[in-house]
Amino acid sequence: MSGVRDLALIQARRDRVVLPVWILGIAVLAFAVAGAVATEFADEADRAAIVSMATASPAFLFIRGLPDGTGIGAVVFFQGYAFTAVLAALMSTFLVIRHTRTDEELGRAELIGSVPIPRAASLAATLILGSVVNLVLALSVAAGFALAGLRGVGVLTAGAAVGAVGVFFVAVAAAVAQVMPSGRSANGAAAGLVGVAYFLRGIGDAFGTSSADLTQVTSAWLSLLSPIGWGQRSRPFSVADPAPLLVLTGVAVALAVTVLGIRKGRDLGASLLVEPAGRARAGVGGDSFLGLAWRQQWPTLIGWCVFAALLGGIAGGLGPVVSDVMGGNDSLRELISRLVPGSRAEIIDVFITALLGIAGVLAAAAGIQAVLRLRAEEAEGRAELLLSTSRSKARWLGANLLLAAASAVVVAVAAGTAATVGLAFSGVVNDPPGLLVAAALAHVPAAGVFTAAAAVLFAAVPSLSIPLGWGMLAGGLVLGQFGELLGLPAWLQDVSPFRHSAAMPVEPFDLTAALVMSVIALAGAGAAVYLFRRRGLTV
Amino acid sequence: MTSASDPVIDATRLVKTYGRTRALDALDLRVRPGEVHGFLGPNGAGKSTTLRVLLGLIRPTSGTARVFGLDPWREPVRTHQNIAYVPGDVSLWPSLSGGEVIDLLTGLRGGSEERLRRELIDEFEFDPRRKARTYSKGNRQKVALIAAFARPAQLYLLDEPSAGLDPVMESVFRRQVRRVSDDGATVLLSSHILSEVEQLCDRVTIIRSGRTVESGTLAELRHLKLTHFRIEGTDAGLLAALPRVQNVLTDGDLVEFDVDASDLATVLDVIAAARISGLSVSPPSLESLFLSHYGESKVL
Repeated sequence: MSGVRDLALIQARRDRVVLPVWILGIAVLAFAVAGAVATEFADEADRAAIVSMATASPAFLFIRGLPDGTGIGAVVFFQGYAFTAVLAALMSTFLVIRHTRTDEELGRAELIGSVPIPRAASLAATLILGSVVNLVLALSVAAGFALAGLRGVGVLTAGAAVGAVGVFFVAVAAAVAQVMPSGRSANGAAAGLVGVAYFLRGIGDAFGTSSADLTQVTSAWLSLLSPIGWGQRSRPFSVADPAPLLVLTGVAVALAVTVLGIRKGRDLGASLLVEPAGRARAGVGGDSFLGLAWRQQWPTLIGWCVFAALLGGIAGGLGPVVSDVMGGNDSLRELISRLVPGSRAEIIDVFITALLGIAGVLAAAAGIQAVLRLRAEEAEGRAELLLSTSRSKARWLGANLLLAAASAVVVAVAAGTAATVGLAFSGVVNDPPGLLVAAALAHVPAAGVFTAAAAVLFAAVPSLSIPLGWGMLAGGLVLGQFGELLGLPAWLQDVSPFRHSAAMPVEPFDLTAALVMSVIALAGAGAAVYLFRRRGLTV
Repeated sequence: MTSASDPVIDATRLVKTYGRTRALDALDLRVRPGEVHGFLGPNGAGKSTTLRVLLGLIRPTSGTARVFGLDPWREPVRTHQNIAYVPGDVSLWPSLSGGEVIDLLTGLRGGSEERLRRELIDEFEFDPRRKARTYSKGNRQKVALIAAFARPAQLYLLDEPSAGLDPVMESVFRRQVRRVSDDGATVLLSSHILSEVEQLCDRVTIIRSGRTVESGTLAELRHLKLTHFRIEGTDAGLLAALPRVQNVLTDGDLVEFDVDASDLATVLDVIAAARISGLSVSPPSLESLFLSHYGESKVL
């Protein structure tokens, strides 16, 4: 047993930065949601309005979950639970895979396996660590709610509902780690299962039946296939029933015991699925810089697109509901209109504009990430192999810049298309067709400026390019998107390229600004190529 | 253009500094067309840095480097036209298969020769379908070697190329070096193992701390041809009877020394006459050469 305890302590030590960040982040989110509901929907009547709107909107139910009354706590749980539970599940899966399949793949588990402790000791340690971490998370979330002014047994139940989903996914990820051959594929599969859990709950909730007074919804049976659906069943702020959480924990324990048995009987490194054989020969474009960049970039690009599409879907799907509710809430109307200054537009347009603006930030992030990948290529010695061939450095950087720019466009299109589809599902006429795609694309020139700036950083200060590149995006986000809220001077806000993008559909398209930013982006790309040609490779 | 007798590689007084460290300190290197040139030095002597300068991947702080008469920093693409390179530490793209990496690297140089590619994969007993993340160090090395040899080049720059290969694979590698050399290509082979260089190279350049210590044919560098003797069960009395032994070490009844090839017969006669209990004879290691011949200050 002491072996297990020592191993759990070592694993906790390895995670001493990442786990506190996760836990604190989720607890702060809980605090923020509770605080926002308490101030924006202080009146019972406001809460009743949003809850009755939500019960009538399958899109809202799909995205958020089940309304459970009009008390502040109930609205907070309804607004925040599904997202919080997804975050807890992701924290748990990454934690488990990191200490199981990834360690096995990279050979660290071999070292541990050579010392006199049982074969499954390391996995047992990870399971214990995961359980303890989720207990701390449950208490932290409850503390977040309590700090925001919520009271009663519901606070603890709500925290436990988050932690129970986390514990469930600790066991699920442990099982996935036995099946998948590499850390990367195991992380992908486990995160995919989290997505499935969210999706099943969403479908089940969307088909739920609402109570006569439109304050509660009972989910359809499909939600019972999802651990998040079970966590939601605890209904912390109405009945506070711990039974569904005990069911979740019980299933998790049974699964964990089974997985420990599997690990005891399994060879080190063996997996149910094996790494599929790769191609013996390169495919089309496999001998070009652009083809190589695409091979490395597409899995990440899909991630950016899913993220952007989710945002766009929320914008289109929830826009009509939100605008109906907020029509009667003056303080909120004012807050949102401050995000898009000087406008007296329809609230639905303001809401969609604000979310598509964030999708523009995602497009910039995708471009920056594609460029900064080159720094890893250089530092890990792969650029050396590529640049000792008879192709120039300029072509290498150029091909990757092309793909980075294309990534930004694709992410914007994903957000705009999802918003269009979401709006269509809510039964609102989208006029003219393609407006929302154009609105998302209006942010691409600004994203291009960020991408080019990241390339200049990579060329000029390679060893600092990664922190500076992301720091630049964070700065642009604060200045451009939140500058108004923070009351920063206008000239400072204007430094951010995001400030110069047309905030469509509220504002008309600004051709001059788009052209100026495109020229700046191209000039930046040219400068990056020039600077990169003049420097040597550094590690 | 360059004439046939001009050196393929001509580096003069190369200096490369990183902050206060001098990775290269007035290094000279000349490699003639068609030769297999050994580039010898202990770890950290500046071999990899020199190869990177020759490829134009990094710019020398001062000094000149010419490859095929071209400045590799100013004209990397023209210089690389006829170069195949194997880096010292091969890092690959984890999600690509070995076969894809080979096609990528040869493709960027203009495409592989199908027959060569097939033969190399066969000879190196390499499985091209596995993902690069699953390859051991030796297998990653094979990817770089196959990619380098699968397309004919005029100059092969090989940085410690046999690291991680087992003896059978090492012999496959040596066969490939001889093949391209017979075809008239020039090879620069960096190594810290003297015996590897002895087997393959016509001429060698020895560097230490970023500086060329000496350069010449193996015959010219006679001290590389020393023979190292280690004799047990004798005393210093034996040494008195021996002609011109070098680098003598004694420890109790153990005696070690180096002998020039021309004195071997005499030394063997003396040893045969002496009463000894153990004898081992070996080529000198690079480390002992640095200790004895090049005045390395640190004690190994």
